[in-house]
Amino acid sequence: MDKILRIDVGAEGGPKATAGAMGEYAGFAGRALTSAIVSKEVPPLCHALGAENKLVIAPGMLSGTTGAMSGRISVGCKSPLTGGIKEANAGGQPSQVLARLGYGAIVLEGKPKGDDLYKVFINKDGVRIAADNSLKMLPNYDLVAKMKAEYGDKIACISIGPAGEMKMSAASIACTDMELRPTRHAGRGGVGAVMGSKGIKVIVLDDTGMQMRAPKDPEKFKEANKRFIEGLKKHPVTGQGLPAYGTNVLTNILNEVGGYPTYNFRQGRFDGAAKISGETQAETETKRGGLATHGCHRGCVIQCSGTYHDKDGHYLTKQPEYETVWAHGGNCGISDLDGIAMLDFLDDNYGLDTIEMGATIGVAMEAGLAKFGDVEAAIKLVHEVGKGTHLGRILGNGTAFTAKAFGVEHAPVVKGQAMPAYDPRAVQGVGVTYATSPMGADHTAGYAVAQNVLKVGGDVNALKPEGQVELSRNLQIATAAIDSTGMCLFIAFAVLDQPETFQALLDMLNAFYGLSLTGDGVTDLGKKVLSMERDFNARAGFTAQQDRLPRYFKMEKFAPHNVTFDVKDEDLDKVFNW
Amino acid sequence: MNDIADKCPQLGLVLSGAMLPRFFLLFQQGVTIRARVGCSLKAFLLEELAIRQDAVDKIQSMFLDGRPVDDLDATMVRDGSVLALSAALPGLVGATMRRGGRYASFRQTISYHEEKLQCAAGNGRVRIKLFNLIMRELGPGLLHRGVFMRTSDLMNFLSGQAEDFWQECREVILDGMPSDAGRLKDGTLLSGHQKVIFSATL
Ligand code: SF4
Repeated sequence: MDKILRIDVGAEGGPKATAGAMGEYAGFAGRALTSAIVSKEVPPLCHALGAENKLVIAPGMLSGTTGAMSGRISVGCKSPLTGGIKEANAGGQPSQVLARLGYGAIVLEGKPKGDDLYKVFINKDGVRIAADNSLKMLPNYDLVAKMKAEYGDKIACISIGPAGEMKMSAASIACTDMELRPTRHAGRGGVGAVMGSKGIKVIVLDDTGMQMRAPKDPEKFKEANKRFIEGLKKHPVTGQGLPAYGTNVLTNILNEVGGYPTYNFRQGRFDGAAKISGETQAETETKRGGLATHGCHRGCVIQCSGTYHDKDGHYLTKQPEYETVWAHGGNCGISDLDGIAMLDFLDDNYGLDTIEMGATIGVAMEAGLAKFGDVEAAIKLVHEVGKGTHLGRILGNGTAFTAKAFGVEHAPVVKGQAMPAYDPRAVQGVGVTYATSPMGADHTAGYAVAQNVLKVGGDVNALKPEGQVELSRNLQIATAAIDSTGMCLFIAFAVLDQPETFQALLDMLNAFYGLSLTGDGVTDLGKKVLSMERDFNARAGFTAQQDRLPRYFKMEKFAPHNVTFDVKDEDLDKVFNW
Repeated sequence: MNDIADKCPQLGLVLSGAMLPRFFLLFQQGVTIRARVGCSLKAFLLEELAIRQDAVDKIQSMFLDGRPVDDLDATMVRDGSVLALSAALPGLVGATMRRGGRYASFRQTISYHEEKLQCAAGNGRVRIKLFNLIMRELGPGLLHRGVFMRTSDLMNFLSGQAEDFWQECREVILDGMPSDAGRLKDGTLLSGHQKVIFSATL
């Protein structure tokens, strides 16, 4: 991982690839690297789909090693959805493969001269780029099947579906999983539209002939990795809960506490919740011959994912995550698990962010385009997007855009990006993160390591309202750091509660790179990443006014507990005071 | 309330343990039990439900009347309470739901706060919801104890079962007397009864 591959898509005669040293970006990976390149090289006032924007794809610090859980890939750019900086990350195989091929990042830059669509193939011998207009408007599954026929089954793909080609703001970038299916998406912020604007349909990676990345101190690395895995296995969340039910185990819980946004964030409980819960999903998967416990990439020891089969026992999609089941389920009043799984498949196939699409359909239902609860109508709406009809073009540009187009007041967005599956009136601390994250409303932005492990921000009095602001700050710092390691964020549960597991992670990083990183060093990295991102947004014209939830969250009581979001604006403005 | 309950027929099934997952949807939606109430949540779990202390410790999140609970001693279970029990939960929001966890402030506006630590002790009904791993741990005991159901709900549940459920059903017992599964399936066994106390031994 000592070089950056830059592909100038506007070069004479078609895209040209140049590999260069990491230079000033040496030591950066994952989100730290994508945000460093974007904040330094992309003019913040540029058009997100124009020549000046760049799409940066970067594996994590430990990707491509034998380290467990190290396969997240970060994708960064100026977001066409939020207008600010974006980092979206995904699991799947590409991070490991790209890292083993020796690349710290791929940067797509410039603007294509014509209408040709390109595929990029990277292996140990170098980079081949070719125009292939037969790929135009291919959905992700068909595209990957074609790449497999052409390059064999030892590949990993990073691709866009029709939504990305149509430069829709809800477009995702797909990464293939261990079974070579395009099921893992860098979903948020319209990163797929930026890839589409560069005229690149797919990046095919083949690491045949490459070795695992070697640590500076192999023995220490092996031993730390062993401790890290033991820590994950013994923790009740990463060792039991997540493998058994995946993230959708949260449906019943959020519903129980009245924090499950239902009918476009109108109320906090959904009558059909138990029918679409993680528990019901796992039973359904097992009964039909699917898998309730499965990893999204090699080296995952938690295995929060699975495979979902249809009623006839045929593969339909990967196990939909909690946020997807909520977005297409309760938020749209839908309690049909098979229908939700179909929507998950369609989103993956057309290349769409499931959260943005579910929230958009919720708004469309409020606008009267379909009835809440009508799964067939929801499926039709996603097809409209995939086909690029006029209606589909509106929906494919996300929740805020759709709300505007149809005159809907209730658009649950921050910085133009749809809120995920936790109502900020019921879980107010999450609302602080939604409001202030440079990424727009994002549940993963403040998700990770506890402040008492990292010792950031001093002691927090959890019983005082301002404690939420401090906690949100600390969590955002820690998340930014974890995103930079390339570790799956779900390690946070073990690291949160078990300082020895956090130490094992530090020991892995130190043994691999010959560093002597401490918890403070991790904190500094997180702060640095957030500072770069906030600075980019400020230069893009963002002010404190964008660090707010929509006003109706303060005004309208949320049943059953009849709560409003009551964290004061001046407290939100203190989140980044460090 | 007790009068009505005492007049309910008691239906028991003896089933193979493999049938436990068939009850998972019921557990998630909640089952009603008759119990001694007017005590702390801690006493209710340890004494009334007879859950061992180490098993109580594994129930990392508890919800009373839809509110996350932090202090088991300072939470009272009353007639009509709804209690939901969950094992460890993922994600930041999962962590905020932990009893007395360090992120409790994130959901302080919906947390359970006891108004009065005193309430009348006596018999009552409590609706219990079991989620995730707790379904396997506590589900069999709850079914064995017996749950109070509307007969129509029970019949809906039974009519949704495939033939293997009945093949795995070794006994049908009504008010202590062996009964016929066919009459249960066709609805005649419980006809005329609005409510039933249903138990299953797995
Ligand atoms: S825990 Fe889940 S998301 Fe994380 S690497 Fe494993 S399967 Fe992928």
